[in-house]
Amino acid sequence: AAAALCWALRAARQVLPSPCPRQVRSYYVDWRMLRDVKRRKVAFEHADERLRINALRKNSILPRELQEVADKEIAALPRDSCPVRIRNRCVVTSRPRGVKRRWRLSRIVLRHFADHAQMSGVQRAMW
Amino acid sequence: KDKSAASKDSTPEGASKRQEDGAETPKQQLLDIIGSMKVEVSYRKKLQQLKASERKKQALNKLEGPDSEGSVPQGATEDTQRGKPLNPKLVKAASAVASSLPRNKEQTESELLAQLRRHEETTDKQKKGGTVNIRDVISEMTIKRQTPAQRSVRISRRISLQLDEDGQRIRPERSSAQFVDSRRSLKVGKRLNIFTKASAEPEDSLKTVSSPTIWDLEFAKEVAAVTAQPPRNGFEEMIQWTKEGILWEFPIDNEVGMEDDAEFHEHIFLEKHLEGFPKEGPIRHFMELVICGLSKNPYLSVKQKAEHIEWFQKYFEEKKELLQEI
Repeated sequence: AAAALCWALRAARQVLPSPCPRQVRSYYVDWRMLRDVKRRKVAFEHADERLRINALRKNSILPRELQEVADKEIAALPRDSCPVRIRNRCVVTSRPRGVKRRWRLSRIVLRHFADHAQMSGVQRAMW
Repeated sequence: KDKSAASKDSTPEGASKRQEDGAETPKQQLLDIIGSMKVEVSYRKKLQQLKASERKKQALNKLEGPDSEGSVPQGATEDTQRGKPLNPKLVKAASAVASSLPRNKEQTESELLAQLRRHEETTDKQKKGGTVNIRDVISEMTIKRQTPAQRSVRISRRISLQLDEDGQRIRPERSSAQFVDSRRSLKVGKRLNIFTKASAEPEDSLKTVSSPTIWDLEFAKEVAAVTAQPPRNGFEEMIQWTKEGILWEFPIDNEVGMEDDAEFHEHIFLEKHLEGFPKEGPIRHFMELVICGLSKNPYLSVKQKAEHIEWFQKYFEEKKELLQEI
């Protein structure tokens, strides 16, 4: 019931026209979710570079000047490229908190689906 | 009686065909010999019947006309008087066959020629596209009659078979009945010429396949879109998903998409990539650590590891000036 109210919010999102016969979700739940998606994409692109530059920085063998240069380089990368900015939101409601990692769903949505027997292998605990 | 008439028609037909082919191939000759043997055996019965009818005719002729031998020259003149003359080869063959048979030669010859003429007429009709008279066709066909022996066999089969379904009970009877009725075989009888034999054309020479034009592609897309019906049940839906890649293929293969053909030594012994680096100094030390870490990494492919090392190489080359200051 509470989840249904949340789902009423829909944000516009442009989708390239693709020859897809089935229904496609053309909107993200809200702008925050959109931004999170962007951050994930950018972080994926720069992941390797960040790894290598950090490897240069975080060691005691190379001279400090080199490491300072590396510091500056990594700061010059786009801000969204760092993985720390990614927030694991609920996939259905974009709820930032109370999200179970295995299902990528918020606790409310998870409960809703499990009670309607739409989650395979998920059962109410009783012992 | 109808059956005998039908069989009589078939063999002179066969005879004419054989004589026309002549000595084309040794196989044909063999077939001819075998065919001729057949004729001798079966023709006697027909000849008996024919003779019975012919004797009646001759008796009538005797009553009307004085000569009995006159029938033959009459027949001969009739042959020549008829519109379409028979193939002289066929005539010769007919005379040869008549001479080979023991009975009245002239009579057999005339009968054979009559048969051939009839055959020619039918073939001409067919060539001109004469319509198949259904009445003739049906008149040729006889009602299938069970022999008492077969009847008893069938009854016994009926009793023995379980009463599962009516269809299942009837089926084995039919199949056996076809083979049991050897009197009425499938190939005996006048050809009805209802079905035309599909001419076996040789395959057309492979057409040079030009690059598929845009129109061809569009057409193919259209066809695919039209034929792609929505799934009728859950199984078809799952099949479609698997084709699209949404659903994994079962049994699950853990190494799908991960085609690492490299051997273990390529993963571990990465020192050959270190040739571009200076042999002394902190950089070498650093790179050896990097290589140690990469060799212990089971998740990267050899290509990815090589890319890492290459990046470091580039990076250090760019920073060479800086390094020399230090």
